[in-house]
Amino acid sequence: MPKKPLDDRIRDSPRPHAPPIHRSHWGWLVVAYFFLGGIAGGAQVIAALAALVGGKKSAGVARLARYVSFAAFLPCPPLLILDLGRPERFLHMLRVVKLRSPMSVGSWTLVAFGGVAALATLDQAAADHILPRGMLTRRRGWWSPLTAVTGLPLGLGLAGYTGVLLAATAVPLWTKRGLLLGPLFLASALSTAAAAIDATAIATGQRHRGWAPLRRFERLTLLAETLLMAAWLGRLGRAGLPLASGPLALWVHHGVAGLGLAVPAVLGALAPHLPPKLRITASAVALSSTLFGGFVLRWVLVVGGNRSADDAGATFEMTARPSTERKQGN
Amino acid sequence: MTRSFGHEHPGAMGFLTDATLCIGCKACEVACKQWNELPADGDAALSARSYDNTGDLGATTWRHVAFIERVATDEAPFAWLMLSDVCKHCVHAGCMEACPTGAIVRTEFDSIFIQPDICNGCGYCVPACPFGVPQLDQDDGRVHKCTLCYDRLRGGLQPACATACPTDSILFGPVTELRSIGRSRVESLKERGVQKASLYGDTSLGGTNGIGGLNAMFVLNDEPELFNLPAAPSLPQRTTGPAFLATLLSGACFALLGAAAFRATKRGED
Ligand code: SF4
Ligand code: SF4
Repeated sequence: MPKKPLDDRIRDSPRPHAPPIHRSHWGWLVVAYFFLGGIAGGAQVIAALAALVGGKKSAGVARLARYVSFAAFLPCPPLLILDLGRPERFLHMLRVVKLRSPMSVGSWTLVAFGGVAALATLDQAAADHILPRGMLTRRRGWWSPLTAVTGLPLGLGLAGYTGVLLAATAVPLWTKRGLLLGPLFLASALSTAAAAIDATAIATGQRHRGWAPLRRFERLTLLAETLLMAAWLGRLGRAGLPLASGPLALWVHHGVAGLGLAVPAVLGALAPHLPPKLRITASAVALSSTLFGGFVLRWVLVVGGNRSADDAGATFEMTARPSTERKQGN
Repeated sequence: MTRSFGHEHPGAMGFLTDATLCIGCKACEVACKQWNELPADGDAALSARSYDNTGDLGATTWRHVAFIERVATDEAPFAWLMLSDVCKHCVHAGCMEACPTGAIVRTEFDSIFIQPDICNGCGYCVPACPFGVPQLDQDDGRVHKCTLCYDRLRGGLQPACATACPTDSILFGPVTELRSIGRSRVESLKERGVQKASLYGDTSLGGTNGIGGLNAMFVLNDEPELFNLPAAPSLPQRTTGPAFLATLLSGACFALLGAAAFRATKRGED
């Protein structure tokens, strides 16, 4: 009988016990948080860029971006707290600062971000005469540029740390090409944030010629997301099995790549050639498509990661000794 | 190896669990559950495929005796592999580095301990352990795993499992001593023809790639994967720094892209 490779012996032996690593318990609460936190962070980045370099013409974008960011942020803490096994202990997240723990870094980022997003929103509401005149809201004070300068890095941090959080685990799908996850989450956060702002503008009838830069940025981030997604998916090996076959593969192809990336790109290219009335419809379709794709991306990543954690072969492929060492019978 | 562990710097203490001495009696599982007041895992039925009734390490199973039917090859005949699995009490522990609340600490015995009054059940340590040890208890909302019987050690006792083991398959003691015992055991196994014998838990096997070795080691008589153990795992947090850097760099690129996109209008406006 020829010698069986290790893989076959593992497969053949009736393995009564579970996979070598434990999957996370994360489900739709965390998926929703990844999606909304990305929009909140991305929109704050866009607000900051529009305010810092966009000038008067982009004031409308900055204004909506601040509101969208804060609105997307509000459900985030409750989602995270509900996901805890002991929700009443959520403040334990702020007992310590641990730079090597992305979840610790993320918790502090979320707190700081919430403060800045709230300040930016109050400031905007004061400028829009929504809030009654008061201490903070009398005029646009020193905090106005401050929210832009701090909102930019905090927004990037909030949108990107979640990718690092997944990468710093033992889960094959999340670690295999883990360095790309942060950038991928960032790109998706920015494209979905731009889409959310743009969609809000259409819904409230505020979109006009001055919004061209936002759409330009939206296209750039979608392009970056496409490239990052292709680079990430390309070399996952066994770790990528849950996304390469079965129902999740359909979601990756049709949800993430099709609706999330291809449809907005095609509609964006077609839009200038459409009659003005159709143009708005096309935009609305493209924007909802982008948002949907961004949500599906978070969902397949979380669910796919959990499935790859259950795949002993994926873990053992990544933790195998160099073959020379094994031959020496070490 | 009876001695008092109550003093302040006892040094690293750990386990040496020898698969070649395990007879699968599960006394360790029972002793662990009794001392730590852990519930039984359902009814005491055997899992359908083996003489294994707990199946995996989990929130209420901190020792798990694996029964593995090794299929026959031309190298080795059919055999039962038995191993009492446990938390490895890593020198650099993925679970501890992941924990955002500081609930997971290193004790004076160099063991890894989850403080039950601090853990808020975020569950991040669960996928961050390279060995699939900690698990979220759905009933009490916290994560649990082997404590290396911290309370017993404080009182000068050995861990319950090691005390109960009738074959000395589980040894407890100073890690340096256990390591040399393990090494000579592997040597003697090899002399007796068990070519695949290995000590799992030094920096070349099991405690690899940033983990820095394991304080709970194992003597194995076949490939670690057959025992469900990864041969060369990595410390997950080795990724944190580079991944943050990659994210930061891409963030800077996106900010520049965005600035360029918004700048264009400003110029048009001027
Ligand atoms: S084996 Fe897992 S749970 Fe035990 S110390 Fe190492 S990382 Fe933590
Ligand atoms: S579940 Fe508890 S022990 Fe595990 S990382 Fe979260 S707070 Fe720490």
